This record gives sequence, C-alpha cells and structure tokens, in this order.
Amino acid sequence: MLYVELLAQGLVQGSIYALVAVGLTLVYGLLRILHVAHAGLFTLGGYVGVLVTNATGSLLLALLVAMVTVGIVGMAIYRLCYQPILDKPPYVALIASIGLFIAMEEIYRLVFGPYGISFENPPLQDVVQMFGVTLRLGEVATAAGTLLLVGALAVFSGKTRFGTAWRATVTDPAMAESFGIDIIKVRYLNFFIGSAFAASAGVMVALLNNMVEPTMGSVPSYKALAIIVLRGLGDVRGTLVAALALGVIEAFGTIYLGKFLDRDAIAFAFLILVLMVRPQGLFGRA
Amino acid sequence: MLGLGAYEISVITAMGIAVIFALSLNLITGFCGQISLGHAAFYGIGAYTSALLTKAGFPIGVGLLGAVILAGLVGIVVGFASLRVRHDFLAITTMGVGFLFVGITRQMDFVGGEMGVSGIPASGFGKPGFMLFVMLCVVLTILFSLHLKRSWMGYSFDAIASDEDTAKVIGLDVSRYKLAAFAMGTALAGLAGALYAHNVRFIDPESFGFVESITVLAMVVIGGIGSVPGVIFAAALLSVLPLWIQFFDEYKLLLYGGLLFAMMRFSPGGMAGLARRIIPSKAKGARS
Amino acid sequence: MLLDVSAVTVRFGGVTAVNGVSFSLNKGELLGFIGPNGAGKTTMMRAITGVVTPTEGEIRLLGKNLTTLPVHQRVRLGLGFSQQLVKPFRNMTVLENVALAAGARHTASPFSALFRIKRDREKEQAAQLLAQVGIADAADADPSNLPLGYLKRLEVARALALKPSLLLLDEPLAGLNHAEAHKLADMIVALNRAGQSIILIEHNLGEVMRICSRLIVQDNGNKIGEGDPETVMNTAVVRAAYLGEGNDHVAA
Repeated sequence: MLYVELLAQGLVQGSIYALVAVGLTLVYGLLRILHVAHAGLFTLGGYVGVLVTNATGSLLLALLVAMVTVGIVGMAIYRLCYQPILDKPPYVALIASIGLFIAMEEIYRLVFGPYGISFENPPLQDVVQMFGVTLRLGEVATAAGTLLLVGALAVFSGKTRFGTAWRATVTDPAMAESFGIDIIKVRYLNFFIGSAFAASAGVMVALLNNMVEPTMGSVPSYKALAIIVLRGLGDVRGTLVAALALGVIEAFGTIYLGKFLDRDAIAFAFLILVLMVRPQGLFGRA
Repeated sequence: MLGLGAYEISVITAMGIAVIFALSLNLITGFCGQISLGHAAFYGIGAYTSALLTKAGFPIGVGLLGAVILAGLVGIVVGFASLRVRHDFLAITTMGVGFLFVGITRQMDFVGGEMGVSGIPASGFGKPGFMLFVMLCVVLTILFSLHLKRSWMGYSFDAIASDEDTAKVIGLDVSRYKLAAFAMGTALAGLAGALYAHNVRFIDPESFGFVESITVLAMVVIGGIGSVPGVIFAAALLSVLPLWIQFFDEYKLLLYGGLLFAMMRFSPGGMAGLARRIIPSKAKGARS
Repeated sequence: MLLDVSAVTVRFGGVTAVNGVSFSLNKGELLGFIGPNGAGKTTMMRAITGVVTPTEGEIRLLGKNLTTLPVHQRVRLGLGFSQQLVKPFRNMTVLENVALAAGARHTASPFSALFRIKRDREKEQAAQLLAQVGIADAADADPSNLPLGYLKRLEVARALALKPSLLLLDEPLAGLNHAEAHKLADMIVALNRAGQSIILIEHNLGEVMRICSRLIVQDNGNKIGEGDPETVMNTAVVRAAYLGEGNDHVAA
C-alpha cells in the first residue's frame, strides 16, 4: 500500500512541476530564454489565489482571476523586459531574468510580509478514499485540474488555427514568419498561457500547503528548469512525462535516499546523473 | 599594525576574500561567457575541505591546497556534465550543484549537518598576518586574471563568449576551453572558500546557498562582465556595504535583483561599460 | 584529389535533404555549387563543414575521413569556411577577428594558449589579409557598425587566415548589390588565381557562370548536373529545375 501511496503523492507533486514546466518550455522553445522569472509568476499566482479566495470565498473564481492577472503580467514581462534585449548575447536575458526573479521575491516579502499568508477557511481539505489510498480533496483537485488544463492546451494547439500557427512558430520561427504568421502575437500568447499555467500551479500549491510565502517559487521552478534540461529537445508531451516522473522519483527517493540527500537534492542528483549517462536528455534521440 | 584597528583588519580581510571569489566567477562568466548560478557551492567545497583537513591536524597549507584541488575537480566533473547539453543549460546544472551541495552538507553528519563546523583553526599568522596573506592572494589572483585576459587563451575566450558556433569555425575546441575556464574558476573559488573558513572559523550549509551564488554573480555583473577592475570594485563595494549601512542588509537582495535586471536591460557592460561610455564620449567631444 | 564527397545522404526525420550526392574537387579548382531555393545546397555544405552529420556516405579531405569529426577538427585539418549569415565576433575589432584565426596554431590547446601573449605577427598577417579582401580601412572598426559588404569580406578574410587547403564560401554574394557582388566575385577569382582551392555555393547565377570553371547543380537533394557552366546550364533537366522556380535567376 505504501507504494501506491508514494505513487499518488509523486503524481500530485509531478502535476505541479508539469504546470510550471510547460510555461518554461514554451518560452525556451520560442525565444531560447531560460525564463527564471517564471518562478516569480508562480508565486504571484499563489498570492492572488489566496487573497481572492479570502475576499470572495470562491476558490474557482480565485483560480480564474489568478490565471488572467498573472497571464497579463507575463505578457508585460515579455514586452518590457525581454523584447528589448532579444538581440543581445543569451546570457543578457538570462541574468536579467534572474535579477527580475529575485527582485519579485523581495517585493512579495516587503508587501505581504516574510511569513506568508494562509486561507481563512482552507477549501478542499476533506479526505477521500481512492484506489485504497487516502487523499485530500485538494490533492485530487490538483491532479484533476492539471489534467484538465493540459488537455485543454492539447486541444487548443491541435485543433485550432491559432494553435497550428503557434506550433509552427515554436518549431521554426523564421519559416513560420515566411508563411505570414504574426510571430509577435504568438509570443504574447505564449507568455499569457505559460504564465497562466504557472499561476494555476501557484494556487494549487497554496491549497496543498494552506500557505503562500515569498520564496515558494524557488524550488518548483528550479525543478521545472531541470526538467527542461532533462527532456532533451522534446516537446510539451516530453515535458509532462518528465515532470510526472520526477515527482514519482522524488517521492520514492525521499524514502530510500532520505538519509543522504534531502528531497530537493535528489532531483538534481538525478539531473547530473542523467546528463552524464544520456547527454541528449531522457527522451532525446541519440 | 599599519595603524589599523581590529575592525578595519577584519573588513579588509573580508573584502579581499570577496574579491578573490568574484574574480573566480569572472573567469567563467566574465571571460568565457558561461553563467554559473551555483558558484557558492565551490566556495563551500573549499571552505569545508580546508576546515575539515585543518581540524584533523593538517597544516593550513595542506588545507588550502586540498580546497583548491577538490573544488577544481568537482568543477571539472560538473563542467563535463554541462558541456554535454545545450550551452545555456550550464546555468541550470550549476544551480543544481548549489542545491546538491547544501542538501548533502545538511544531511551528512561527518561534515556537521545543519550545525556546520565550528572551532576551525585560525591561520596561525595572527589577524594582521592573515590579512596580509589574503592580500597576497588577491594580488596574485588579479595578476593571473590580467595575464589570462591578455593571453591567447583570453583571446579565445572572447570569441567563445561572443559566439560559440563561430568560434568553432575558426578551429577552437570550444568544449576544452570552457572546461579550462570552469576548472580554473572553481579551483580559485575553492581557495576563496578556504580563506573564508579560516577567517570566520565557523561554517554551516546556509553560508553557501543560492543567496551567496547570486551575490557573487551580482558582483561580476554590476562591476562589468569580464572587466577585472570593474569586478574588483564591485566586489569590494558590495562586500562592505551591508556592514556599513544597516538598512542595506534588509534590502540587499532587492537591490541585487534590481541591479542585475537593470544592468542587463540598460547597460549590459556593467559599471565598467558605463565608465567606458562616459569617458570616450568626453574625449570625442573635446576633439570635435 | 583535395575533397572527395561520396554518396552523401542527409535525412531529417522523414525528409531527405540530400540524396546520395557524390562529387570531388581537385587542387586549385574554383567549383560553383548551385541549385534553386530549397535544393539542399546548404545542407550539403553543412555536411562538409560538420554542422550536420550525414546519414550515409563519406567525406574526405586530402584523404582523411571527415564524416564524423566535429567542426573545429575539420577546420584544423584544412577546411576554411565563410558563413552565409555573417557572424563577426562583436566584442573585438575587425583586425582582431582575423588575427585570432591567423593564430590558430597558438589556440590548438587551451593550456599552451595560456602561456602565449604576443600577437604582433598575427596582426600583421591579418592586416595583409584585410588589404587583400579590400577592407584595410576598417581594420580598427567595431564590426557592429559596418555595412554588409564589409562583413561578407571579413568572413572571407577570417577563413583565409586559417590558411585552409580548401575554402568554402556559402553565398558570399547574397545581400550585396550588383556592383558590390561583382567586386567580391573578382576578388574570389583573384584568390583562386593565387592558388586557393574554392567551393562557391551561390544563388547569383550570373556571377557564378562568369567566374567558375566547373559547376555542380543540385535540386531536391539530388545532383542533376556537373560540368563546365555553359554545357551544364543548357541541359534539359537543369533548365527545367530553374524554370520551375521562375527563370529570373537564369536571366540574372
């Protein structure tokens, strides 16, 4: 039973990584920027989620508000921070992104205080029995929400005209432009969707921990960055699989390796190991 | 000695160590254009190595040497792993190494776990003597940096920092050059870490976390990526500001973050770039 | 024989970009490599320079098998090339760009590069090369401020600084106006007369027909013609390939 329990925990945790990693993958695929400040958007999502829930009592409304607000902030970051430095060497955007991320965390600390805020009436805390495992409703909602969002993304990118243009642009921006696709519009869309996904993950983590704090973005986002490295030059699907796999590996690793490494170190030990053995990434072709 | 009080001596020593640490990252990030987000881990490896060696009874010389060698070796392993993926992923793998280092030192009892290592032997040169020793290391590090910049290795690093693919087109073995930069930079960080350990005589995992990695990156970026005088100036300044201005400590990270962003967005050359922009424009103005 | 390309095939996913192409080059030749847009010329060149690895086939330079070597090793074996999109090192002057390539023997190993400082000889060589390609006046300029015509020549000078046994020029005339292209083509001829073996990948048919002694035509990844320019361009299959694209290039 322990195994099933660990698997379930790992998948829930992996869902969070997946939602964060999707946005990063999209930005990296399109602009070749390692968008570290994505972590700050995740945290912002968590704060908006808790604040709106406390004000209105509706978690669903809070989720929507968080996704839309953070999506718009994400587009603003692209326009104000990345677009002017796209033609500079790659380290310029990377360092700018790191600086932005750290400044965001500090702003949350100064505005909302260092100890974080919680839900007044924590929603979805009831416990349910599923497949012989005991889960909180919040955990079930996290997994279900991820499935729903990722499914919606798959339908959007697979079935709509804009989705097709989007995929074409991620694959080959120059080629897409020559077909008359407005790549600037695609970039905005990219940042909106990626940031909204990060915000949803932020709300879910707030729900699972009943807590948001200024530094909550660091760890999931570093892991999401690691996932981008691990998946090779795959696609969104590869990212999802890698994210879920990482969640599960961590869940089991904590039990068996906990004496030597803490949870966060396991992910990176795994990352370094994979890079040594399979440099093309977990799913890349040799 | 030299008319300096104990406080001035400790400030100068700390500044010197920060300068060595910043110049070590400058070899990797400044000269070779590779971003490391986990440089504090190598600083920490140096600190722990020398602390444990000297506590076990070895002389400080062995401690320092061990720190340099172990940090450099780990650096080569990490560099080797990172070189096998896309070049901008070095930032992520080094960030991972930073986490791994803190994770391992926290969990392992023989390096003190959460409690860290205390009672690290002092240098044995006395406080003023240690300050002079640190200054000697600073001077040697500066001379080495300046030599490297002028050598054909520095010339090749310039090319790699500008455009890796084109560097290959003129026959440069980009991977070996990057590995060389990484080995030298991490070994030097190990030295800085060892000096730090013998200066403060107490270390714990938190002294070598992400914040330290960002602080040293801020020193390099704010000083001016690749500019030796710029990085020395920024390292000296940023290492003493928190001591002098209490309120700075509270807003330190906000300032570092803001400056990292603002420098890249508006002046990727850092303070050195700003200085270059102001001075030649004056000269031109005088001529016209 | 200087370069021997035998039965090279390059596939990406399901697409065959180059399909079993063979050709060779003798010392001192100026070979034109042409084809309509999307013919797989650039892919063929990338297979020679090492940016892509052929799925099948073999590439030999002076008898040495290059097929799986990384780019920098091919360069060390005597392959020099200019890139289609100009890529100067923007953090150094034009002269320094060329001098670094001229010092290739000092940069073979990072360790020995650390112990060498003097660059006077390489700077002199670089200055001569800049004069040879006609941009001596820009020696101390920042490449970011130069027009395309200068940067195209800088690419050529930098490749020449490696003293390559084979010089590969990937669309050096693209983006230049008629007079500039004519001038650069004359310079290529002069280089060739001085003994430099050259492969010229070009879209500008007029200049290629004027200066090359031999042509290879590729279309849809297949070699469809080889021989002296007049004869090759008059074969039915080559005319069809170009007419299919619109005959503006034949007219040019």
